[in-house]
Amino acid sequence: MGRFKLITKAINIGKVTEKYPFAPLEVPEGFRGKPVIDPEKCIGCTACSNACPPQALQVYDDLERGVRVVHLFVGRCIFCARCQDVCPTGAIKLTKEFELATLSEEDLHQFVELKMVRCEECGKPFDTFRHLLYSAKELQPWEREMMFLCPECRAKRISEQLISAKGGGGYV
Amino acid sequence: MFEKSLWVFHLNSGSCNGCDIEILNIFAPKQDVERFGIKLVGSPRHADAIAFTGPVTRECLPKVIEAFKAVPEPKIVLAIGSCACGGGIWYDTYAVIGGVKELYKILKEEYGIEPPTTIYIPGCPPKPEAIIYGVAMARGLVKQKQKREIYIEELDEKTERDIVEILFGEAKETRHFVPNITVKTDGGEDE
Repeated sequence: MGRFKLITKAINIGKVTEKYPFAPLEVPEGFRGKPVIDPEKCIGCTACSNACPPQALQVYDDLERGVRVVHLFVGRCIFCARCQDVCPTGAIKLTKEFELATLSEEDLHQFVELKMVRCEECGKPFDTFRHLLYSAKELQPWEREMMFLCPECRAKRISEQLISAKGGGGYV
Repeated sequence: MFEKSLWVFHLNSGSCNGCDIEILNIFAPKQDVERFGIKLVGSPRHADAIAFTGPVTRECLPKVIEAFKAVPEPKIVLAIGSCACGGGIWYDTYAVIGGVKELYKILKEEYGIEPPTTIYIPGCPPKPEAIIYGVAMARGLVKQKQKREIYIEELDEKTERDIVEILFGEAKETRHFVPNITVKTDGGEDE
């Protein structure tokens, strides 16, 4: 290729460099960017933290304050969108936001703190109000009377009832 | 921070090459960062900034520390990718230190080196434009968008009671299961 041909080809193609930091950039459809938790929809069911491969999403209970903390650390996220697939209420969505650079690591965190229900018997917080309301839809009305017991107390009460129903071999 | 040309030394501390390919991309014609005066250099002694990728494997640690010491002050670290920011998917494995934050702890405890200014660029791998955004932030061309968000659910005692009533209301109306049943059986022992 001669020099003249090369120059004409280069002129025909023109500039290919993006003007990016000075002009906005459109990302393609289906781009997986920063995950965002919608705090109004989140029920604290821990499905996302079970699905998250690098455990960027962690759900832990603060028993002293009686809150369940959904903690998202974007710095460790690998943008696989499994949390979005698994969320039962659609609270987590991956936005198209990709400009995540920060000067301090603390800015990469998102916390959602949900109030927990205290067990009627032992007083230990065991589940969030929102999760109870969500799961109450699935339960029969007569199953709901043990909803405010933590799993240990529930097992204890059921076994006590079984013991008190003596001799019911046919029924128990 | 750095108003003049930034010379970057690319330091791979056991990365999977995903982020490294994106770093090569930003020097290509499409996302040309040489228009900001940014240049890759071969030696850490010539560099102002370190383009840091990877979660710092144990095998790499001594070399990484030597490269860190060799870069003259004032320096700036671009922690590129999820591995460099927070350890990524290998954050708790035995063979990995776990990102720049853990590396800074080691540097401070063992060598007394203060952690330099760091720009965290998460992504797996980050888009080339995301790296440009971080670099432009170092140059002061754009402002930081990402912020720490904390949401605390506020429930009054009244709404709590309402929730309890909603959950219990139907249960009281249609109670099928009666606790403390005593069942009589034929041929069983009576007390």
